[in-house]
Amino acid sequence: MRNTMLWILLLSVPLVARAQDFKIPPDVEKLSAKAKETVEVTMDGPMLRWASKFLSAEDPEEEKCAKLVANLRGIYVRSFEFDKEGAYTAAEVEALRSQVRSPGWTRVVGVRSDRDGDNVDVFFKLENDKMAGIVIIAAEPKELTFVNIVGPLEVDQLADLGGEFGIPKLNHESLEKAQKGDHK
Amino acid sequence: MKSLRVVLLVFCATTVAFGSDREFRGVVHAIEHTYGVHHMHIPFLGVAMFFSRPEGVSGIHLAVFEGFEAPADTEDFSRIVQNSLGGGWYPFVRVLSQSDGETTLIYANPSGGKMRMLIVNLEPSEATVVELRLDESAIKSWLREPGENAESEGSHRHHFD
Repeated sequence: MRNTMLWILLLSVPLVARAQDFKIPPDVEKLSAKAKETVEVTMDGPMLRWASKFLSAEDPEEEKCAKLVANLRGIYVRSFEFDKEGAYTAAEVEALRSQVRSPGWTRVVGVRSDRDGDNVDVFFKLENDKMAGIVIIAAEPKELTFVNIVGPLEVDQLADLGGEFGIPKLNHESLEKAQKGDHK
Repeated sequence: MKSLRVVLLVFCATTVAFGSDREFRGVVHAIEHTYGVHHMHIPFLGVAMFFSRPEGVSGIHLAVFEGFEAPADTEDFSRIVQNSLGGGWYPFVRVLSQSDGETTLIYANPSGGKMRMLIVNLEPSEATVVELRLDESAIKSWLREPGENAESEGSHRHHFD
C-alpha cells in the first residue's frame, strides 16, 4: 500500500508541475490549423515591468492597470477566428478546460449564454494559499480566446485588466453575477 | 517653403534607403544569408512613406524581398529573426492567416518612454521587414489592442506595395 502511494505521488508530481508551468497548452496551439486567423500575444516579465512604468500615474485607470501588471510574470493570449460556426467542437473546448482542472486549479466563473452562444470560464491557480495565475477561456460561435495570466492577481481585478493587452473585457457586474450563479 | 519640403523628403528617403539601424540590418542580412534572397530597392519609397505613414510612427526602415518562398515552418524563421535581434527585443504578437497564407511576426524593444518595433510579414511569395519607432499614443494603442493593431498594420503595409 505504501509503495502504491509512493508511485501515485511520483507520477502525479510531474503532471502537477506541467499543468502549473504551461504558457499555452499544446491543445490550444492545435486549433490554429483550423482557424481562419490566429492572433498570439506574448508579454513576458520584462515587457510587463516596462509597461507598468510606462503607463501614466496621472490617469487613474492606467495607474490601476500599472500596479496590477507590475507583479505579473506573463500574459499569454491566443485568439482564434473561424470561418463558420461549428468549426471547433465542444470536445476541443472541453480539452482546454481539462488542462486547468488539475490540482491547484479552481474554476471560479462560468458564464453560459443560451441566447448568443457565448461561454466564458475563468480558472485560478493557488500556490501556498496565494493567487498565482488565472486562465480565461472565452468561446463564441466563431471565435475562441485562451488567456493565461501568470502571477498574483485577484479575480475581481480581472475587470481592470480586461480590454488591455488583448485580454477580453469582463465587467465587474458579470463577474459578480456569475460568481453568485445568476447566469446560465 | 518648397525647399524645406524637398529637404524633408530627401531626409525621409535617405532614412528609408540607408537605414543605419544595426538590428534592422542584422535581420535583413540574416534573411538574405539564410534564404539566398536579396531585398529590393524601391524608388520613391521614402516619399510614399512620408505621406502615408501611420499616426504616431517615425523612423521607418523597410526592406522588401520579392520572390521569397515562405518557409513551411515559421518557427525556424522566428528563431532566425530573434537570434539576429539579440537581447532587449521580445516576441510580442504573431498573426497567422490561413485564408491568405500570411504570417506576421512582431517584436518589441521597449526602453524608457519609447518603443521600437520590428514587423516581419511573410506572404506566399514575398517577405517584408519593417522597423519603426512608436510615440506615446501609439504605444498605448498597441498595449491596449495588440491583435487589432497587428492586423491593421498588415493592411496598412499593403498600401506601400
